[in-house]
Amino acid sequence: MISTTVLLFPNFFLFTPGYKMCKKYLLLGMLFFEVISMSQNKNSENQQNQQQDQIPEGVPSMSFPVYVTITGMFGGLIWGIVGYVAFILNFIRVGPAMALMPWALGPWKETWIGQIVGILVISLISIGVAFLYRLLFVKINSIWPGLLFGAGLWIIVFGLLNPMFPGLKSLFNLDINTIITSACIYVVYGLFIGYSISYEYQEQQDERAQQSIQS
Amino acid sequence: MSAEKSEEKDQKQPISPKIRENEKIISNRVGIGSSFDVDVRRLSIQGKEVQFYIVNGLTDTPIAIELLKELMFLDAVEVEQFDVKKQIQNRLTHVQVEFVDNIDDAIKQMLSGLTFLLIDGESEAIVIDVRQYPGRGPEEPDTEKVVRGARDGYTENIIENTGLTRRRIRDERLRNEILQVGKRSKTDICISYIDGVADNDLVNIVKKELENIDIDGLTMADKVVEEYIVKQGYNPFPLVRYTERPDVAATHLFEGHVVVIVDASPSVIIFPTTFFHHVQHAEEYRQAPMIGTFLRWVRFLGMFFSLFILPLWLLFVMQPSLLPPDFDFIGLEESPTIPVFVQIMFGELGIELLRMAAIHTPSPLATALGLVAALLIGEIAIEVGVLSAEVILYVAIGAIGMFASPSYEMGITLKMIRVLLLVAVAAFKVPGIVIATTVMFILVAAIKTLNVPYLWPFLPFYPKALLDTLIRMSVPSKKRRPSIVNPRDVYKQSKA
Repeated sequence: MISTTVLLFPNFFLFTPGYKMCKKYLLLGMLFFEVISMSQNKNSENQQNQQQDQIPEGVPSMSFPVYVTITGMFGGLIWGIVGYVAFILNFIRVGPAMALMPWALGPWKETWIGQIVGILVISLISIGVAFLYRLLFVKINSIWPGLLFGAGLWIIVFGLLNPMFPGLKSLFNLDINTIITSACIYVVYGLFIGYSISYEYQEQQDERAQQSIQS
Repeated sequence: MSAEKSEEKDQKQPISPKIRENEKIISNRVGIGSSFDVDVRRLSIQGKEVQFYIVNGLTDTPIAIELLKELMFLDAVEVEQFDVKKQIQNRLTHVQVEFVDNIDDAIKQMLSGLTFLLIDGESEAIVIDVRQYPGRGPEEPDTEKVVRGARDGYTENIIENTGLTRRRIRDERLRNEILQVGKRSKTDICISYIDGVADNDLVNIVKKELENIDIDGLTMADKVVEEYIVKQGYNPFPLVRYTERPDVAATHLFEGHVVVIVDASPSVIIFPTTFFHHVQHAEEYRQAPMIGTFLRWVRFLGMFFSLFILPLWLLFVMQPSLLPPDFDFIGLEESPTIPVFVQIMFGELGIELLRMAAIHTPSPLATALGLVAALLIGEIAIEVGVLSAEVILYVAIGAIGMFASPSYEMGITLKMIRVLLLVAVAAFKVPGIVIATTVMFILVAAIKTLNVPYLWPFLPFYPKALLDTLIRMSVPSKKRRPSIVNPRDVYKQSKA
């Protein structure tokens, strides 16, 4: 739970811009590992649960919340990198460092370091996004909810939350390349997270159903 | 083999005890006398007439002669007994002897190369397997060569093919179920799987789809079967993996896949397959894991470049402002006389034409074709100014990347998509390429073959399995079978 507070209010912990950069990295790194270790704890807890339920060995050992966490994290990582590539190729005006825009962090956030930190921050935020998807659409095993989810996220970030990003022009003043590229990345990102989660949910449901038939 | 659908059984013509009647019917139906390759040989044994029906192009003559000899010998030395049929059956020197009670089955067997004999007064025909199909021996397949490793490949003969598999899997639970498809061609199709490993549902789905094929003939063998089973439609991506290598097929059987062998085709079909099955190659598993990984990454990069480098380059030529500052050098040195897009299309079409020409050119003329290709089209096109040097370079990179993908079908698909991307770039620049790529990705992600998502394990995301496709794991470290085939026995190796 500590990690979630860190996640939501990073400026609280990083309020002094004069901090040396390495300390920030350290903090972010700690944050990252904390999430990982949390998920591992959950994993072992769940394995114990599975043994109690006497599920035969050989079924996938990953529990659903862990799967959602990992999928969200990698979804953010992969599509953050894609976003960075699009930024390098000048398809889009803002890179993954956009995630750092609301906070005053010093000039480094404009450089490639900022972009990479941005990607990591997006990966962490994506864990929350993945759980949000799970809350909303987990039972629909299709690609559509994922696509819609991605499009919805784009509207929220670029439309509603626009004033939070000082470097970003308002939606109607953005160039068409940025709009289309960012929307496409969001849609595919939503598809990645959404379809993965729905599919895995369906798989685990099927498995459970099969086991209940057998026993 | 004699298993047939029940509704047809009612209409089958029984064998009459009167041999002349049978002869008349059979002669009429298969055209003995008008077709020269279908024949009947009459013998008199123990005072009873015996008729041998045979297709001479499909039978092994020495075996047939041996059978006839034995029967004549029987006629000469044995005392006449009450049951001539039993006497004859005793003397049939062959391992595979069956009885059928209707003319339809007998004819079907004969036309697949077996012989059947009718005995006067009996209402059963004896079918003997004396098949020998014209064909070649196992050779190394052209499309899947390896530097080290087995050099045998599947042939056109389904029996030999099952033998090649069986030689690698001596497991008693390996099942080779055969059935016949095609109303007129009656093509043999064999479903191979390992019982206890492969998912029963998967086997049943494949079997059901095969039984539902209602067509007169399957001359294009496995391709027809594929289109029926995976319902390809107008989707350009290859939905099944073909292989001509028995070791590859055996590996997939062990993993819990189902393999379908169609008679008269040297390539077998592996079900179910995903995109990533098309970018792996047997060679990777004949080298050290690290080397295998390296080869695989080179191949991934090659395919990726082949798909995107040309559209991106075209985009940068059309809109140089997009280039990152470090890559200013990309672009055209001189302003072209012909629009770059047209040049690229020329290049793409040219390479495709050359490829087609190379297939149809007889090998003595191949050198001449090479000269024409390299000198005339390459050199002179640049000198005249029809094509820019850069265009040739990037088109060539695209073409090489395509040839490097181990699946021929995947290579052509990538080429087609590249052309579509080029058109999108030429028409709409950045929005064109971004939207086209996104739509392509979504469409590919939406494909499911036999309930398996096409982009598995990337989408849906399974990190462990994805790592296995990105890195060639060492064999001892792979303890589990891939989950996507839903294997009944998850472990390949004992867990200890």
